[in-house]
Amino acid sequence: MTTSSVSPTASSASTPGTGLGEISLQPPAWSRVTRRLFGHRGLAIGLIVVGLAILIAIFAPLLAPHDPYHQDIANRMVPPVWHDEGSWEHVLGTDKLGRDTLSRLLFGTRISLTIGLVVALISGVIGTTLGVLAGYFGGRVDAVISYVITTRLAMPVVLVALALASLTGGSLTTVILLLGLLLWDRFAVVSRSVTQQVRDAEYVFAARTLGCSLPYILLREVLPNIAGSLIVVMTLEMAHAILLEATLSFLGMGVQPPLPSWGLMVAEGKAYMFFQPWVIAIPGIALFVLVLAINLLGDGLRDLNAPGGRN
Amino acid sequence: MGTFIVRRILVAMSVALTISIVSFMLLHLSGDLATSIAGPEATAEQVEQIRVDYGLDRPIVSQYLDWLGDALTFDFGRSYYYQSTVVDLIVDRMPVTLTLGGLALALAVGISIPLGVLAALKRDTWIDRLALLFAVVGQAMPSFWFGLTLIVVFAVTLQWLPAAGSDGWQHFVLPAIALGYYATPAMMRLTRTGMLEVLESDYIRTARAKGLRTGSVIFKHALRNAIIPVVALAAVELGFMLGGSVVIESVFSLNGLGQLAWDAISRNDYPVVQAVVLIIALFYIVLTLLADVANAALDPRIRTR
Amino acid sequence: MSRLEVNNLLEVNNLRVDLPVEAGTLHAVRGIDFHVERGEMLCLVGESGCGKSMTSLALMGLLPRKARLTADRLRFDGIDLTTLPERRRSDLRGARMSMIFQEPMTALNPAYTLGNQLCEGLIRHRGVSRQEARERAIYLLERVGISAAKDRLNQYPHQLSGGLRQRVMIAMALMCEPDLIIADEPTTALDVTIQAQILRLLRELQQEFGTAVIFITHDLGVVARIADRVAVMYAGEVIESAPTPALYANPAHPYTRGLLSCIPAPGKTPPGSRLQAIPGVVPSLVGHVEGCAFRNRCPQAQPTCERTPPLMSLSGDHRARCHYADRPVPAPRPPETIS
Repeated sequence: MTTSSVSPTASSASTPGTGLGEISLQPPAWSRVTRRLFGHRGLAIGLIVVGLAILIAIFAPLLAPHDPYHQDIANRMVPPVWHDEGSWEHVLGTDKLGRDTLSRLLFGTRISLTIGLVVALISGVIGTTLGVLAGYFGGRVDAVISYVITTRLAMPVVLVALALASLTGGSLTTVILLLGLLLWDRFAVVSRSVTQQVRDAEYVFAARTLGCSLPYILLREVLPNIAGSLIVVMTLEMAHAILLEATLSFLGMGVQPPLPSWGLMVAEGKAYMFFQPWVIAIPGIALFVLVLAINLLGDGLRDLNAPGGRN
Repeated sequence: MGTFIVRRILVAMSVALTISIVSFMLLHLSGDLATSIAGPEATAEQVEQIRVDYGLDRPIVSQYLDWLGDALTFDFGRSYYYQSTVVDLIVDRMPVTLTLGGLALALAVGISIPLGVLAALKRDTWIDRLALLFAVVGQAMPSFWFGLTLIVVFAVTLQWLPAAGSDGWQHFVLPAIALGYYATPAMMRLTRTGMLEVLESDYIRTARAKGLRTGSVIFKHALRNAIIPVVALAAVELGFMLGGSVVIESVFSLNGLGQLAWDAISRNDYPVVQAVVLIIALFYIVLTLLADVANAALDPRIRTR
Repeated sequence: MSRLEVNNLLEVNNLRVDLPVEAGTLHAVRGIDFHVERGEMLCLVGESGCGKSMTSLALMGLLPRKARLTADRLRFDGIDLTTLPERRRSDLRGARMSMIFQEPMTALNPAYTLGNQLCEGLIRHRGVSRQEARERAIYLLERVGISAAKDRLNQYPHQLSGGLRQRVMIAMALMCEPDLIIADEPTTALDVTIQAQILRLLRELQQEFGTAVIFITHDLGVVARIADRVAVMYAGEVIESAPTPALYANPAHPYTRGLLSCIPAPGKTPPGSRLQAIPGVVPSLVGHVEGCAFRNRCPQAQPTCERTPPLMSLSGDHRARCHYADRPVPAPRPPETIS
């Protein structure tokens, strides 16, 4: 008697893998989510710091002890309060023109956050549009858009931004426009690949079979599903934009004086950095903290977004 | 494999061409070059004269085609500022930038790969958390500020290394650190993720089942597979470093391509700017091509397709 | 030591494997006993999740880091495996006991040639030259039925089909002339026709080289064809073990009986009739487990079964873990009449 051809598995309706029947291994869903949200310290820290930065930016006029543009040559290069010659009048000291560093720092939050947000939005719109179109339609459209993305990636962004800024004159608006038009690549790449995955999913197929129009499909089916990844990219590009603006301003081609851009503050303090290092340390640390917080936020969001959890 | 390379080269060349067009158009169309060259003091006639002298009054397409024709014979024109051809200037400055980039990449790779492997092996221990912290911190520091801080700490306070110039190898250490650290987090994370993934795979289990020594399992079997995307990333990062060297070269007063471009931008020396942008883009393109080749070389599955 | 025990290559007494999981401790293997004699083919049968794979990993020393292994006795050729340091353990692995895994498509490293992967174990364990290792590899590849063996050495895994890769795995397991091979469902992932070939190959090799084999499977048909002895596992325990003919002729444990009755027999089972299945679900092995694990699905469960059944010995080598393995089940009590 041969039993090979009809040998069923010696199974009897069991849960494979763990020998577990009825008892579930997972604690309830709500506790899992909150545990991840607050157990993930990076995300929590990022949220808090960014939230603080936003508040500072909004309430800067109320929080700043002095006018950030007010020059007081008599009191130039005053060290911070923890120095011997420091005073509580100027907690973080003054710069080479006697302007209060703390006030400039607080107002500088506005510049950094504005640039970060607006650039991320502009480049986000451009990049996502390109990426979704490429991912959804494929074929020629994809080929053309991918070519555009490759070309953009090959361009040295810093140099091109510098060159264009010098030609059009540096200013806050110029910087925002330039960076917005240059930093869309990651949006495009990510939204393209996610759209490709979504496009092949069954619910999109179902929508098309039902005769839904293209804009409807894109808006109702595709966008919500790529939103998670896009938010993550948005935070990363915000940080990227803030750092780039600081770099451009540092080199003199970004925001122009007397605006309190942190990058500009570093440039203005460069000449004094050997003997009064705090003039470059303080704005630099501010940049570092803000970008760090945004990155932590982005990483945290990415971990929440990914089904597998922490990497 | 042969057609694959040829096709990639063709695409690369057309991308380079597109970049040259884009940068040319951007430079010439985003402002009046003649006015910029002439400077704020010039009179209207002087500006017009400059326009004619430099051929800026001709249609932009023919200006570009002229430039392209010369460029294909490696004639990028003469600098408006220096008494020299653009090619000479570039050749003169290139070694510094390439050395800087190479050293920066070597440092980045030398730190990120061992750190990534260690973090993967000691997952969730303090070493792992420290490595991840290091990664997160590294990505948040602006490079110019990091460079300045390095100068203040190492060149001034400790006086270990020089702050400026490019005479000896010591002059490249701090700049290489300042340029390379930004690439380290990404490569370290990629190594770590790759190792974690690979260590879970069946063939690692097979290797252990064969009784191979731990070192062999980790390095011969696991790392060999995990490192493939990292190599590709390293090539791309080098491309970014070469493009971003302008900041570091400015901070450390190094006489490289970045500094050349920066000076040219400040002095409205457009032939130089155009050429440097193209050269750096070409480097990036070649490096991404090399990255693809490396991928194929390291992964037999791609090779025999 | 009695003569019988000296013959045993592998002795396992009260092996336990525990895994910490989110909800507590998973008792994957709960005190199993079995032995393997030199040169014999023992089949370890059971459904998914019964602990058979965990057992094989425990024997090889390849359990995940978090797992805890205890045993009263775990002896391989007289060597106590529980106290052996890892360095010496890895000397045994691959050389004296080797393993073949279920999924051949992912079991080989895609970055290295077959020759490299075949030879590295032999070079590491026996210190032979590369040339000698290659010769042995060619010999074994031919022996497992792979043509053009010499050329194959320079090929990469992705150039071979699943069936061929599994043959390579078998050859690889034999490279160092091991005393014991553990094969964890080696044919499950293959086509039925290839399955038959691989099974035949394994049986031939086993008899030719005198290697003992622990063949893990969920397929009772396979067991009948190749096994000298069978051990049936359920919920982390060995609930019955016997020489193959005895098990099929006289299954003592209700689970075994249930399994065997599930197999439709051509000629005997009327066409169109319902396929038998064992009702119920495997109980959870997390946390405290008590009594007979099968009692919630057993057709003849009694109140006694709340107590953990001992290992009852039937004739010869036939053992079963059931209170009623060797005696009839008491008749059900008549219902109380209402007067």
